[in-house]
Amino acid sequence: MIYVTDGSFEGILAAVFEAFRNREDPEEITLGGDFQLSIAAGIREIPTDTGKSDRVWRGVQNRISEKSLEDLYLAYLSEHPRVGLYIYRYIKLGLKLGHKVEEYLQHPDVQAIYDLSRRVSKEVHLFLGILRFKKLKNGVFYACYEPDNNITQLITEHFASRLSDQAWIIHDRKRDVFALHNGEEVVFTTGLSGIVHEDCEEEYEELWRRYFTTIAIESRKNLKLQRSFMPRRYWKHLTEKQL
Amino acid sequence: MKLLDKLQILADSAKYDVSCSSSGSSRSNRPGGVGNASLPGICHSWADDGRCISLLKVLFTNVCIYDCKYCVNRSSNDIRRASFTPDELCELIIQFYRRNYIEGLFLSSAVIRNPDYTMELMIKALRKLRHEYRFNSYIHIKSIPGADMRLVHEAGLLADRMSINIELPSVSGLKLLAPQKDPGSILEPMGYVRERIMESRELVLYKKPQSFVPAGQSTQLIIGATPDSDLKILTLTERLYRNYQLKRVYYSAYVPVNSDENLPSIYTSPPLLREHRIYQADWLLRFYGFRAGELLDENHPNFDIHLDPKCDWALRHLDQFPVEINKAPLEMLLRVPGIGYRMAAKIIRARRIGPLGFEDLKRMRVVLKRARYFITCSGRYYGGIDPDSGLLYQLLSNKADNKVMAGQISMFG
Repeated sequence: MIYVTDGSFEGILAAVFEAFRNREDPEEITLGGDFQLSIAAGIREIPTDTGKSDRVWRGVQNRISEKSLEDLYLAYLSEHPRVGLYIYRYIKLGLKLGHKVEEYLQHPDVQAIYDLSRRVSKEVHLFLGILRFKKLKNGVFYACYEPDNNITQLITEHFASRLSDQAWIIHDRKRDVFALHNGEEVVFTTGLSGIVHEDCEEEYEELWRRYFTTIAIESRKNLKLQRSFMPRRYWKHLTEKQL
Repeated sequence: MKLLDKLQILADSAKYDVSCSSSGSSRSNRPGGVGNASLPGICHSWADDGRCISLLKVLFTNVCIYDCKYCVNRSSNDIRRASFTPDELCELIIQFYRRNYIEGLFLSSAVIRNPDYTMELMIKALRKLRHEYRFNSYIHIKSIPGADMRLVHEAGLLADRMSINIELPSVSGLKLLAPQKDPGSILEPMGYVRERIMESRELVLYKKPQSFVPAGQSTQLIIGATPDSDLKILTLTERLYRNYQLKRVYYSAYVPVNSDENLPSIYTSPPLLREHRIYQADWLLRFYGFRAGELLDENHPNFDIHLDPKCDWALRHLDQFPVEINKAPLEMLLRVPGIGYRMAAKIIRARRIGPLGFEDLKRMRVVLKRARYFITCSGRYYGGIDPDSGLLYQLLSNKADNKVMAGQISMFG
């Protein structure tokens, strides 16, 4: 059976609820309506019922652990096509083992969640460093990026406390998600395409680029090492790489 | 002079200092302030040499009274000289920080006029940055050898980390290459800073703590400018960690910038692999429970370039292997070549649930390329060859790929 969800975390948890209630192992739990049809499997549309998802949420908290819930959510943000199924399998195993499931790293279902959540938290940490703000002519700081995972919500908190007196915008161009900070609070929204074309101040960009090229030691040049830390796909929005 | 040129000159003069870490300090922002310090540290970019950029690393000035032979800024060199004004420096930091280019400032300086005068200039700039510009994030200051302790103390109240570079691992090297510097002027402030750090932690108990270099102190040693052996360097390192409670000792493969009869020729390339081996050994001292005397001794004073130090040690102690992955205590798992701290912790967690087989390890992404020769899983050995046959050296040596030839492994402070 293929469970079709709306792609939200709550939607997936509701699907997990349904799977338990129907006593069946779904072959797939989709993230939204765009999925591969299979001849053998039937389709079950899962409405996002917060009553049901809340029960699973609390079940994980109480009968497995808070940490597991966090890991599941992080893994969810990877948007991996099979993450819905991995979440279901992890919860199923977790309800049997309790909090011990976190340590069951030799089990493929636990490993899957572990890998995905790590992938997401690694990218979060990387972008705390390599997100770049430009100062637009109107004084607003604007950062544009295209992360592999849906991490805007996770990195926003960091910048809200760090750059608390600035008005800024963080824009995930891949997902059309914006985080707006006005110096007091953060609001998430979509569809503000106009900002992308605004001019920015150049002076400090130029200084930064100069610093970046100067600080490298020529006789130690190692571009492969550089790319292993900062893969090329991220360069598009890095000020220092726009030479 | 244009700011762009100044920045270029003063960054160029600072780039041989390897430390760039921004870890070990945690400070929250305050109303009207700019920034906070993140405990694990954050890398903001990686330069073309693969070294991480976390702090804006500049000299306050590169005008120097000293003529240390190995140093690019020595007074006899004909290079462009510049100095920041405190406001230029502060504005640069704030503007870079607001764009998320950097985590903070690493301020060092050549010695202008005399050590006290230089230190006073640096303190003035830092005070401005902290109080007028209300900068809350990370500051690493290099203490100037020979400066008055009162100034060292004042700088320590403003900075997160302080370092005093030893540079040359032996007194004889120092005499030869930096004859104007007094060895005592390096160790004395190190001892002083250690005392003040301990004091500031004790005060926490009964009054509001005065923050004094909360991220600790560090130093740097140059590798390959003098004939000192790895053993000598590592013994010194161990002493620094133990006696001075340093947070980090950094190593910098000597890059020839000057020609001098007492220095390696200007055409020698920096000994990067040797530097890397010493970093690996440094890690073994700090996190893996090794002592310097175990890794090297008089008969074996230098690391084998073709083997990582742990492998090197393991091959000389085959009687302690193989270890059973399901039983060995953490200390022993950490001694298995190829098993790092994170993996060892993972293995310990997982084996509480059930015994681990070779396939389980693979699935857990334990790197088995080297480890397979040194472990058993539930009694079975998967190395495929007799460890005593003498073939292991061939199998393990010289697989050092370029990727790991990093001066600085960036994730850790």
